[in-house]
Amino acid sequence: MKAALFDYTRPADLQQGLQLLAEGAGDTKPMGGSQSLGPMLNLRLARPRAVVDVSRLPGMREVTVEAGALRIGGSVTHAEIEDGVFPELRGTLLQTVAAGIAYRAVRNRGTVAGSLAHADPAADWVLAMTALAARLEIVSASGKRLLPMERFMLGAYTTALEAGELIAAVHIPRLGADARWGYTKFCRKPGEFAEASCCAVFDADSGFARIVIGALDGAPRALPGLAAAFAASGALPSRDEVQAAIAAAAPGKDAVDRKLIAATLRRCLEEVLGHEKESA
Amino acid sequence: MNAVVIEVNRRSLRKDVPARMHLGDFVREEGRQTGTHLGCEHGVCGACTVLVEGRPVRSCITFTSACDRQSVTTVEGYDGDPVMALLRPAFSRHHALQCGFCTPGMLATSRDIVLRLPDADEARVRLELAGNLCRCTGYMGIVNAILDVLEQCRGEGVPAVSALRAALPRPDGGPAPQRKPFRTFTATDSGTLAAAAEAPREEAAAPVSGTRGGTNIQGSFTVPYPPGTVWAFMTDLPAVAGCLPGAELSEHAEDRVKGRIAIKFGPMSASFAGAARLERDDARRSAVLKGAGQDSISKSRANGDVSYRMVALDDGGTRVEVDLLYSLQGPLAQFSRSGLVKDFVARMIQDFGRNVALRLDPERAADAPLPSAHINAFGLAMSVIWSRIKRLFGRDG
Repeated sequence: MKAALFDYTRPADLQQGLQLLAEGAGDTKPMGGSQSLGPMLNLRLARPRAVVDVSRLPGMREVTVEAGALRIGGSVTHAEIEDGVFPELRGTLLQTVAAGIAYRAVRNRGTVAGSLAHADPAADWVLAMTALAARLEIVSASGKRLLPMERFMLGAYTTALEAGELIAAVHIPRLGADARWGYTKFCRKPGEFAEASCCAVFDADSGFARIVIGALDGAPRALPGLAAAFAASGALPSRDEVQAAIAAAAPGKDAVDRKLIAATLRRCLEEVLGHEKESA
Repeated sequence: MNAVVIEVNRRSLRKDVPARMHLGDFVREEGRQTGTHLGCEHGVCGACTVLVEGRPVRSCITFTSACDRQSVTTVEGYDGDPVMALLRPAFSRHHALQCGFCTPGMLATSRDIVLRLPDADEARVRLELAGNLCRCTGYMGIVNAILDVLEQCRGEGVPAVSALRAALPRPDGGPAPQRKPFRTFTATDSGTLAAAAEAPREEAAAPVSGTRGGTNIQGSFTVPYPPGTVWAFMTDLPAVAGCLPGAELSEHAEDRVKGRIAIKFGPMSASFAGAARLERDDARRSAVLKGAGQDSISKSRANGDVSYRMVALDDGGTRVEVDLLYSLQGPLAQFSRSGLVKDFVARMIQDFGRNVALRLDPERAADAPLPSAHINAFGLAMSVIWSRIKRLFGRDG
């Protein structure tokens, strides 16, 4: 299928882009690498009157360090993070996550902000940014706000973004030198959307502990009790503890899904402890 | 229309293209390079993979306008490329193609593997090929052809390939830093149960289950009015439609209605036109609304039975239990894993329940506007009218 008619503009700078989004009265969509929006447009499921291409905007293509946090421009691509183009991101959880998103041809164009704004429950960045307690820098013609990731996603494909708003960057607190993390997902086929996923981050220096499960019906869910216990003991939780935590966080899942989530979570924590990876 | 200048296989093309034209159509129709094959046209099959600025991308979900001032290489443009000079004979030797439909995309991806991953083993090659579907070969020949070329290029085996590899943006960071062993600590921040920024839902946490007739979703809402009052309201179809965000009736006769319902599901919007019939059981205060409709633009079809019944509560209020059995066909079904629809329907039921309570409130005027829903219905009509106006003035795209 071919996309329905729409207008395309590539603004010269952010100000012009925000002006276009503001004038678009909610019927204009920002477009990054078009790897999420493109399929929707071609299938005519998304029918905006206009798109504003933000993929080349200056200020959205850099990674900087601000006040102890990493600031990743919204139009940075998955492949750039995977390839270690930005020294600050080399060897981090972000590089691991980026390398596992979809396929290389998609990673070459897809952007961090585009993936977050699309808010597919199974998306990698949605999960990883929740586990890292990232804050989104959301801009519009009338100003700027910082929104914590856990307040951003309201449900499947549904976010707190208002008409005319754009994710300009993602701010991620820097982890200490002893930080450990794990990232695992279960996909029927590599590169497909995950059926279960888990991201865990433990930073002894700051007391930060997160175990978050993704690929649920809506936003990812944190398992705070399990995370606190694991931080204190450094021991894998029992099967019953894991099942209870999953049942509380994701009550709508059936036994098969819960089993998948539990296995994914266990492998994720094994990764945190530095165990050898099982081949999936 | 947007003016673009794009270099296709070293030939500069200056064209006016509609914004909706994807790069695959551009190279085929404007560039007359028909070697690029279009398969799924929504980024799943990899057949249309071409190089943009030397990197593989899916041309079907890359818009032409976004490639302005960039260079594109298609399967016709590899003359003189040292990697392709090795891959082509290797593909022949290893029977890596049968019908040839996926081959242009396979070659683009294979070239990327050879350049970017000099040390890839079979498992890695297969992983990297996961985004390119082949319906003939079973991949065996393709994998062997790539491993063969990787072997030929080992070390400085092929200087021209080594030179291309050296030109890639390769971080000189060396291996990832050795991570220290896990250190136990007392967590001061272990996250909250990432609750969505809305009131907790009272939905029954019934798992979605697939049945012969489609997918089943259950939910409920409560209103502070007695069952008789709520039942009278819930069997008045125009009143019910008035509480359903995005619904409009065009015809109503007794227990039959025709109309449309506009839904907005994140970036997706659809407007289903259809008909529904109510089967009611007044003694039990339960009813089934059977409906079917089609979204004319995406050609998605939906069928659904909404069963609901009144349950009297001790406090004099009513719980309305809703049971939805639905099936979806067409493009919308591709993006609507049952769990996602459940999440969507749960929010819709809450909005609906809130509207019913407001409409039943004797303190409110009967025609007072209802608050906008979480799921704002989408003014499709406006965009259709707008595009017609533009066409009238010959600015179509």
